[in-house]
Amino acid sequence: MANPQPRTETSSDAALIAAWRAGDEQAAAELVGRHARALARFLAGAGAPEADLDDLVQEALIRAFRSVDRFRGQCQFRSWLLTIGGNVLKDFGRRAGRRKVMPLDEAVRDTAGDPHDHAEAREAEALLAAGLQQLSRLQREVFLLRAQQGLEYDEIAAALATTSGAARVHYHHAVRRLKEIVRDE
Amino acid sequence: MNEDRLNQLARRLGANAAERLDVEATARQVVQRLREQPARRGGIWIQRTLVRIAATVVILVGGAVAVSRLAPGRRPGVSPVHAHLVADDLRDLSAEELRDVLTSFDEIVASDSVVVPESGTDLNELDTQQLRALLRSPEG
Repeated sequence: MANPQPRTETSSDAALIAAWRAGDEQAAAELVGRHARALARFLAGAGAPEADLDDLVQEALIRAFRSVDRFRGQCQFRSWLLTIGGNVLKDFGRRAGRRKVMPLDEAVRDTAGDPHDHAEAREAEALLAAGLQQLSRLQREVFLLRAQQGLEYDEIAAALATTSGAARVHYHHAVRRLKEIVRDE
Repeated sequence: MNEDRLNQLARRLGANAAERLDVEATARQVVQRLREQPARRGGIWIQRTLVRIAATVVILVGGAVAVSRLAPGRRPGVSPVHAHLVADDLRDLSAEELRDVLTSFDEIVASDSVVVPESGTDLNELDTQQLRALLRSPEG
């Protein structure tokens, strides 16, 4: 492996990717540090069981580093990584034979504040999580990229190889469907 | 529940699970796994692709032979075109190589498509000329 190049906290993802391509393992570790939590949130929101979350995060990161030659800066590295996470989760679901939903009462527990408010929040989040599982994969990922990760439509479109308009339509369909699901519960 | 509320809930979704992720340990394990199992290089990918292509060709040729045997109104046996293509390259093969070809050929094509010598002579007893004649027999 090549000697690590001097870097600062502000080294861009592109610079770290280039360093990793040149054999700098530390650059890969730094990219993991930057994006692992966002990836974990995305996977958990998309239905990854918490018990498997660590493995799924690792698998997505390894796939990303191994196929980094295919990343040409068409979108942000994080967006690209999240779409790989979506593929990893799909493969996991196929292997498991069913899609599992994360136990949200554990995942979203927050011990501070009014217990009644937290109970309501947990219930609402559980409803949302269940609703997300009823969406198509594309709608679910677009919704999470937009609502959870805060990405713009252009960025979502670039990551998912679609158009900005199509991403917007998928998001609005997802919102409408989620509202229906929550209302029916 | 309005859209703002949905977005607010979505932002919290999975947040605690992500907080529990040991990022440093994840980074160490990812780097370790990358080190132990380096990415597949293009050469290996190309080799595997070539093997797959070769396997596909074998299956297609075998399939074509089978179809030609089953097609009504056609003489049972190997398609003359395919047999001719094979036979064109037989001149340069030794007796041993011809035996190998014939053995492989027999595994793909049912034995009734090949003209077997009436005497039931063992292949090992045939000389180069006889083997060549045997392989060319489907051409008619």
